[in-house]
Amino acid sequence: MRKMLVTDYEKCTGCRLCELVCSVKHEGVSNPARSRINVTKWETKGIMVPMVCSQCEDAPCMAVCPTNARIRESELGTVTVNYDRCIGCKTCVVACPFGAINFDPIDHKVISCDLCEGDPQCARFCETGAIRYAEASDANKMRQREAAEKLYESLQKLDGAGVS
Amino acid sequence: MVWRRGRLILSEESRQETTSERTARGRTHGAFRCLNCFERIVPPEKAESYKCPKCGFEWRVSWPSPTIPRIRGPVWETNRRLTDEIMAKEKGQGK
Amino acid sequence: MALNRKIAYIDLSSGKVETKPISMEMRKKYLGGRGLDAYLLYNNTKAGVDPLGPDNVCLVSAGILVGTLASATARTHIAGKSPLTGYFGSTNMGGFFAPEMRWAGFDHLVIRGKAEKPVYLWIHNGEIEIRDAKDIWGKGVRDTQSIIREEMGDREIKVMTIGIAGENLVRYANVMTEIKNSGGRTGMGALLGSKNLKAIAVRGTLDIKIEHPVEALEYNKQIISQITSAKVSQEQGRLGTLFIWGATNSQGLVRTRNFQLNQMEDSDGIEPETFEDSAFGMTGCFGCQVHCRAKYIIPDGDYKGTYDEGPEYTSIGAFAAEPGCTDLTTILTGNHLVNDYGMDTLEIGSMIAWAMELYEKGILTDKDTDGLDLSFGNEKAVIEMIHRIAHREGLGDILAEGPLRAAEKIGKDSIRYQVHVKGMSNLHSDERPTPALALGIATASRGSDHLRSRPAIDLYHLPEAVLRQIYSQPVAYEGPLTSDYTDYEGKSWQVFWQEMCYMAVDCLGICKYHTIFLGPNFPNFEEWSKLLYYNTGLELTPLEIWTIAERTNDLERMFNLREGLARSDDWLVDAYFDEPTKLGIPLIRDRVIDRDKFKQMIDEFYAFHGWDEQGKLKPETLKRLGLDKEPSHLL
Repeated sequence: MRKMLVTDYEKCTGCRLCELVCSVKHEGVSNPARSRINVTKWETKGIMVPMVCSQCEDAPCMAVCPTNARIRESELGTVTVNYDRCIGCKTCVVACPFGAINFDPIDHKVISCDLCEGDPQCARFCETGAIRYAEASDANKMRQREAAEKLYESLQKLDGAGVS
Repeated sequence: MVWRRGRLILSEESRQETTSERTARGRTHGAFRCLNCFERIVPPEKAESYKCPKCGFEWRVSWPSPTIPRIRGPVWETNRRLTDEIMAKEKGQGK
Repeated sequence: MALNRKIAYIDLSSGKVETKPISMEMRKKYLGGRGLDAYLLYNNTKAGVDPLGPDNVCLVSAGILVGTLASATARTHIAGKSPLTGYFGSTNMGGFFAPEMRWAGFDHLVIRGKAEKPVYLWIHNGEIEIRDAKDIWGKGVRDTQSIIREEMGDREIKVMTIGIAGENLVRYANVMTEIKNSGGRTGMGALLGSKNLKAIAVRGTLDIKIEHPVEALEYNKQIISQITSAKVSQEQGRLGTLFIWGATNSQGLVRTRNFQLNQMEDSDGIEPETFEDSAFGMTGCFGCQVHCRAKYIIPDGDYKGTYDEGPEYTSIGAFAAEPGCTDLTTILTGNHLVNDYGMDTLEIGSMIAWAMELYEKGILTDKDTDGLDLSFGNEKAVIEMIHRIAHREGLGDILAEGPLRAAEKIGKDSIRYQVHVKGMSNLHSDERPTPALALGIATASRGSDHLRSRPAIDLYHLPEAVLRQIYSQPVAYEGPLTSDYTDYEGKSWQVFWQEMCYMAVDCLGICKYHTIFLGPNFPNFEEWSKLLYYNTGLELTPLEIWTIAERTNDLERMFNLREGLARSDDWLVDAYFDEPTKLGIPLIRDRVIDRDKFKQMIDEFYAFHGWDEQGKLKPETLKRLGLDKEPSHLL
């Protein structure tokens, strides 16, 4: 059983409340530069995509870390940083294929999502459902259902038009 | 409500309901007020139009969410006719 | 902490930049945002200053809670003496600019002088630089932002900019940020344009410390639930502010054909629900869960395929109801054009509809319009006039001057067809059946305005007991209150209360949709007291916040009085009193405002403020609010 943050760019309104609550929860400050989650935007096209660590099973950040500072916390399955070992080389920042590992400009340390010890604030505050905290094996179910509904509707239309 | 400095978080006062929390308890879902007579009316689920049982004005309905009906617009003919009748009557009474 | 943000004085003539801290004393007197802006404007200008001259100041600010956990803390406030009205100029916009400015270390900018050539400001983590704007001058709103982002190599830069209309000193030009967030009223875009200041770009990564983060998070969650669970938020989250137009048109409370009628019967094709089919999702401002902006792509016409956001209540008013158009494409295209040119939708819609009525009455002819058929309902003419006004071509050059100056230029009785207060056009709603709303626009500090004191919930027919709960805190009120929106009784108190409420929310930097504007049980003074404490550590009681709002409102009044405002300016055009409404439900049909009762309302309104019969502050009011030494030059 492993839960994950499921993001849905179609539902994201780009308000960046997730960034705000993340930085307040972790650092006690409002500062998106120190948030573990970021909303990437194409303003002139109206596209907003929340980007956050996926806690990869075969995590590139763990593989590239020269001091084995990227470690997996067994209970939640999160990939976190052991700051005693971390030398701040930022190799993981570059290696992450999602760009989901940030470098904190104030504390000069590597930061990434720790799922708030099982109660991720971004998902808790996101009322549109663009960020959900769900069982990884069920993560696709909502999308699947929505797609199935569309498929069903179009099939019905075909029937109605007498094409079948 | 009494507000005292320095104790806002822990004080009893801060845990008391605020005015807006109190008035929020009166919210109703599933209903809207008739825009003519202000009677609170409950249209049947998914209704596309609904006639106010009190005044007879008829409204086209849309559903922003399954529990929230909203008046989309008037049924123009009905409401225009009713208004004309009411206005003519008022005029007749010299109002 | 959130209170260590600075104020920057920028002199564009000399290029000098000076930064200062904001003292706790000033914070406790004015909070920030619109509050401190009122103070700065009163202290940094002299009576009679030329609005478009170098001695006028342009103030840009963030409210005291901007960027913190208080739900939708996104608002930027821009102030100066208005090029449109000559009185207090003030406008407020959402988006992401104000929070970014705070992360960059600043709460207030005071911009003076005039740059020799076009420039823009670059503000980054406590530093301010004046940069050459040759690459962006002449560009539209969205191109300007893209070019700056590309030039600086940072996609996260937030830009506040003027469009071509602002460069051309259209007197109701906007300041804009992102795609559609507009500071629309009172012509602040022309003010920036007059200073040769094209844009302000900000990027910040400095902390805003939250004083009590655990409580702030939990309380914010509670406030958000309170707001989003309301019916009105959910309607707004799907249909945007269009839903207000739909609801008010159903009764007959909108304005059509330049105030000739009060309901649009052939409007099914432009109803909010019809538009919803063209939209693909919603977007919102910083930290807001109401998300009232629709994302759409123009489906047809010359701008087919273009992305934009909105449209709003005013877009329907400006590009459909007022000019008598019924095509959705006109609304969507018009909305896009004003967003990119940077113009106030409300003002331009009113000006075009006014010109159309003049054309109908024969006051304007084909010769004046260069052959353009300005008949009501001509969709193409509306779009064409937007271009002409932005570029100041032909008749557009006259209309770009705003209601009073344009009427003076055209002459011939044309002023009779203007619907304005203090030289600013009224919202495209009809207030003749609703005295409370009429009082609001007549007395608003920035000229005709619906966002300064409008008790919009008056239209909900709320039970008197509920009204009593809302309107008798934090200051006791025992006078009359009535559910009937056509009544005059007790309405002046409601308007006064709302004026304080909106002022406070503007000082805090929170959106009005998160207080008692559309939702009767939304956060207000009591909640703000807690939010202020959790986020900034500042301890103010609800009553103290109210007093700050009073002080600031009165300072705005003092600015207006210094510029020559008189009681006669707090008044409506004659049509409100003489021409009854023709359409709508029985409650609304055949209504006018009663002159005597309206006069009495204004008397009451002045009395609540502690003003004399002429609308001037009484000496004891000045003393009570600590305004007797203004201008005090403490900042």
